[in-house]
Order: sequence, then C-alpha cells, then structure tokens
Amino acid sequence: MNNLAHMATGFVAALLEAWQELRIHKLRVLLSLIGVTIAVASLTTAVAGASMAKQMMTEQLERQGRPALISTYAMDPSGQGIPRSSAEVSQAFAKTSERFNIEYTSMIGRTYGPQASYQGLNAETTVQVVDPSYGPMHRIFAQHGRWLESEDAKNLSPAVVVDKGLFTELGLDKGSLPATIDLKSGGDTVSVTVIGATSTRDMGMGGELWMLPQTYEHWFASSAPLDDVSYVMWVPIEGSEELAFEFARQMRAELPGYMVDSNRQDYLAWGADETLSQLSLVVGGISGIILLLGSLSLLNVAMVTMKQRIREVGIRRSFGATTGRIFFSVMMESVVATAVAGGLGVMISVALVTNPKLINSVLAMGIDDMPGFPVDAALLGMGVSIAVGALTGVLPALVAARVRIVDAIRV
Amino acid sequence: MSAAQLLQLTDVTRSVLLPDDSQLHILNGINLTVTEGDHIAIVGRSGTGKSTLLNILGLLDRPTSGTVAWRGKDASGLSARRAAAARGRDLGFVFQQFNLLPGRTALENVMAPLMYASGRDFWQRRKLASEALDRVGLGSRLDSMPQTLSGGEQQRVAIARALVRRPRVVLADEPTGALDVSTGRAVMELLDAATVDSGAALITITHDANVAALARQQFRLESGLLHPLSLEVA
Repeated sequence: MNNLAHMATGFVAALLEAWQELRIHKLRVLLSLIGVTIAVASLTTAVAGASMAKQMMTEQLERQGRPALISTYAMDPSGQGIPRSSAEVSQAFAKTSERFNIEYTSMIGRTYGPQASYQGLNAETTVQVVDPSYGPMHRIFAQHGRWLESEDAKNLSPAVVVDKGLFTELGLDKGSLPATIDLKSGGDTVSVTVIGATSTRDMGMGGELWMLPQTYEHWFASSAPLDDVSYVMWVPIEGSEELAFEFARQMRAELPGYMVDSNRQDYLAWGADETLSQLSLVVGGISGIILLLGSLSLLNVAMVTMKQRIREVGIRRSFGATTGRIFFSVMMESVVATAVAGGLGVMISVALVTNPKLINSVLAMGIDDMPGFPVDAALLGMGVSIAVGALTGVLPALVAARVRIVDAIRV
Repeated sequence: MSAAQLLQLTDVTRSVLLPDDSQLHILNGINLTVTEGDHIAIVGRSGTGKSTLLNILGLLDRPTSGTVAWRGKDASGLSARRAAAARGRDLGFVFQQFNLLPGRTALENVMAPLMYASGRDFWQRRKLASEALDRVGLGSRLDSMPQTLSGGEQQRVAIARALVRRPRVVLADEPTGALDVSTGRAVMELLDAATVDSGAALITITHDANVAALARQQFRLESGLLHPLSLEVA
C-alpha cells in the first residue's frame, strides 16, 4: 500500500514537473509542436472526413436500397417487355415472399409528372407507390409527421408522404401537417392529405411523393396507370444471390408465361464502397508522412534542448531523483506536450469537419444531415499524438537518465 | 548522550583513469567522521580534490577503495535507487554557483526537492517551501525569479532549498565563492544558524580561511589526505 502511494505520488509529481517544464519553455514547446499539431489535425481530419463522407455516402446509397435488396420484375409477353402491375403479379410476389418468410417487402410503382398544389403554389412531382416497409428498406423516415402505415389504406382522404423538396416547394411547414393538397394526375385532381415529410431530397428530380398501392389503385390508377412496377425485398446479405435465383424460379412457376427476373440492386452489389476506402488510404498515407516529419522535428528540438539541460538534470539528481524518475519525467514532458498538441489538432479537425459551410463548399453538395464527428477519429488523433510523444521522448529521456551526476553539476 | 554518527569515511581513495591510461590519484586515504550537529570545514587549494570528496560524502560518487558508512551501514552496498532516496531524504546541497533552476521562482526552486518526497512533504510542498524561505528572510520574495535576486539572495534561496527536507547533513561546496566578503560572511552565518537550529551537520568545502574559521572542526586537504587545522575567525 505504501509502495503504491509512493508510486502514485511519483507519477503525479512527474506530471507536475512535465507541466512546469512546458509552462516555462512554452515558446520553444509551441514552436516545436506546430508540426505535430498540423499532422494530428490533418490525420484526424482525413480519418474523420473519410468516415463522415463514407457515412453520408452510405446513407445516400442506402436510399436506393439497403443491402441486400433484391428487386424482382415480372414482364408479361404482351407488355412489350415493360414490367406491368397486376393483381396476379402482386399476389404471386406476396405468396412467394411469404414462402421464403421474408419480412420486408414492397411494391414500387412510379408515375412521373403529376402536379401538386397547395395554397396557390404548384410543383411537379414523382409519385412513388410503395408499401409501408419501403421506408425502413430505403432508410427513409419521416422528419415531420409520420411515414405510411397499412391502416392508411382505409383513410377516406388519401394519405401521402412528401420529401423535403416538395415540402419546401409547396410552402408547407411542420405546424401545417397534416395538410390537404391537390394532386393532379392524368386529368383528375384529387385532394390528398400530407401526413408526413421526409428529410430526403431527390437531387435534380423534383419533389417526390409516396402513397400506398391501395390508395393509388382507388384514386388514380384508372386515369394514370403506373409507368413501371417492380417488387423489392430486404434480406440478409449472406446467401442473397442464391435467394434471388431461387425466388425468380418460384415466381416463374407462379406466373406461367411471364418473364421474371430477380437480382441484387443495392450499392454493395456494384462495389461503390471501394473508391472511398482507397481515398481514405491515400489521405491517411499523406497524413502519416506529415506526422513522421513533425515527429522528427520534435525529436531534433528535444535532443538539442536536452544537451542544454544537463546541469538541471544533475541538480535534480542531487535532490534525490532516481534515473528512472528522470527518464519518466523527461518522457512525460514529451507526452504531455504532444497530448496538448494532439488535443489542439483534434479540436481544429472537429472545427473543420463539422462546419457545414466548409463541407458543402468542398463536397459541392447540399448536405442537410451533418453526421456527428466520429469519436474513433478523435481517439485515433489523441492516441497517435501520445504515441509520438512517447516515441520522441525516449531518446532525450535516455540521454538525461545516463547523465553522470558529478559531471552534470559541474557543467 | 553522544551525538549519532552520520557519515564515516575510512581509508577512502579516489582515482580516475586519464586518456593516456595513467591513473590520477585524487584522494589517497581519507578518514573522516561526521556526527549530528557537526560543523566541519575542509579547505584546500583548487584541484586538491575538495569537490571529489564532497561528491563522495554526498553519495554522488563512489570511492575507488575504502569504505563510506552512512548511519553505520556501508554505503557501497546501496543501490543507485537507495542512494538517491538517502540523498533526497537526508542530504542537502549548497553549490558555489547556487544552481537554482532557471525559469522558476524562488518558491518553485525550494519546492523542487519536495517533488521527490512523498506523503505530507509532497502534498504540502508549497507551505513547507514558503516557511523555509521565510526562515532565510526571503518571505517577501517568493515569486521572484532568480535573475531578479542578488547573489546573496540567490544563495539564501539555495540554502532554503537545501534545508527544506530537513536533512541530517548539509554539504556546501564553496558557498561563498561567488559572493563578496560581507555577503559571504552573512550567508555563512545564516547557514550555520540554520543547521544548528535543525540539528543537521554542516560540511563546508572552501578555499577561504575566514569561512573555514566559522566551523568548529577544520581540515586541510592536501596531497589527497585530510590534515586537522586550527583557524581563528579574523
């Protein structure tokens, strides 16, 4: 217990000594640490930026469907190859997916060009006819109001969800939900109720509007049949290719004469994540080189300074400092200094990476949902700076510990 | 009751190997006993080995032959760690050039040895250092930097620093060497009084006969040997 208390006191004292030394030589320390600060800031920014970009890209890509997303088309020979919607196909899909015990399934039908109007404001829109599972399958959630539910099919006023683009174009706000808007499609105008709005925005495609198949069938299908229809299901990645093959085979059995095709449609199936990994490697490599140069400059300054501090080491030894304590104190000076520099570097990185204006100007795209600064990048920055401090502290610490007291005092 | 024996040097020699492989014999058989409350002065010309002897007395260096007993035990068997602990706990040093730590205030300089202490001495280092500076008459200069203090004041800071851990032996290497005569005398009187108060033994290495005369025992170091002296205060 006594030894433990003695060690704890020694540790606290070494930290205090290190801090005192840094305080006294703050200008020298500051200058020698600029390289480390810049290196840690760039390394952390590279890692955090890549991680955040990856997260943003993943979220964007997952809006096209979360892996593994299997898309199924059923083309009847009379439809000249265009996937058609019919009760027969829908039933076959429902029956087959139930047989495979697939929980998340949705129909996707689109019609382009309907006009949405609200209090004198008009906007062109793409109507997507989907089942409630479509939302979680595509990482689409209601930011205001709520997403579609099965019960909405029974509503006397057709329930719809709009995206952020349409929500803004129609001048809607959070307080106005649920809002009744007019939807003109195929010559008919129907009043529909906007029950929710998502945070997504369809880049350059105008606003999007979602409704249930039953709703579309009841109110719009007669005047504006859907342009193309497919069916999607969200399944575990493992075995998804085999499942798609088998699913298509069984669908064909259910739909004699139809051409059925099922395949993966999510971003992992076409390798979108590899580019980002390579970018992270390149930026990380450059940061590593900066860090190495910064460390060498730090080591150089530390070695020169230690030569000038030999007498001080001798004086401390005369107070009873052991070689171990001198070694630890000198190394702690380096560690504390680089930890402070690393902390500063991480703060600079956080300020850069979480600045929406800067990110938008660099990435040249409007990001509405800024992901949080990745904690692992901050921890990596701190860890690297402490490791650099320990590594660059070893040599001067060895020099200090090997000083002969008698010689040192006479210097 | 007789005073406790602190240091005993028996037939201590110290030689160093020169670049031409010959031996330079600095100390040739030193015998010295230091007990509590002693005030010993060792005089000698430059190059006679006074500092070498002080380093051996301060456990900073080891003799080539002979024994150094620290509180009755052979110090040659002490590990570097134990020697450092003994130095920190029981020995105080006062140097000719003061050797104050640069960039630190008077208070921080006096606190410095307490950084190697544990328990109360470590945690109450500020209070103990303030008291030590107060005792040497520098209670109002706690936050002064060394370069703003006069030579005499700097040496008083060094004395406060040497005494702050209440050592049993204070080793002073030419403590007045960098001071004028009157300041040097004042510093020596302060050092003498402070060690008498604390009961510590004081060993002063000097080439100044007037400084040596203040001690109760005097020796001359010549040809690597100690010879008793009898000096009167001028």
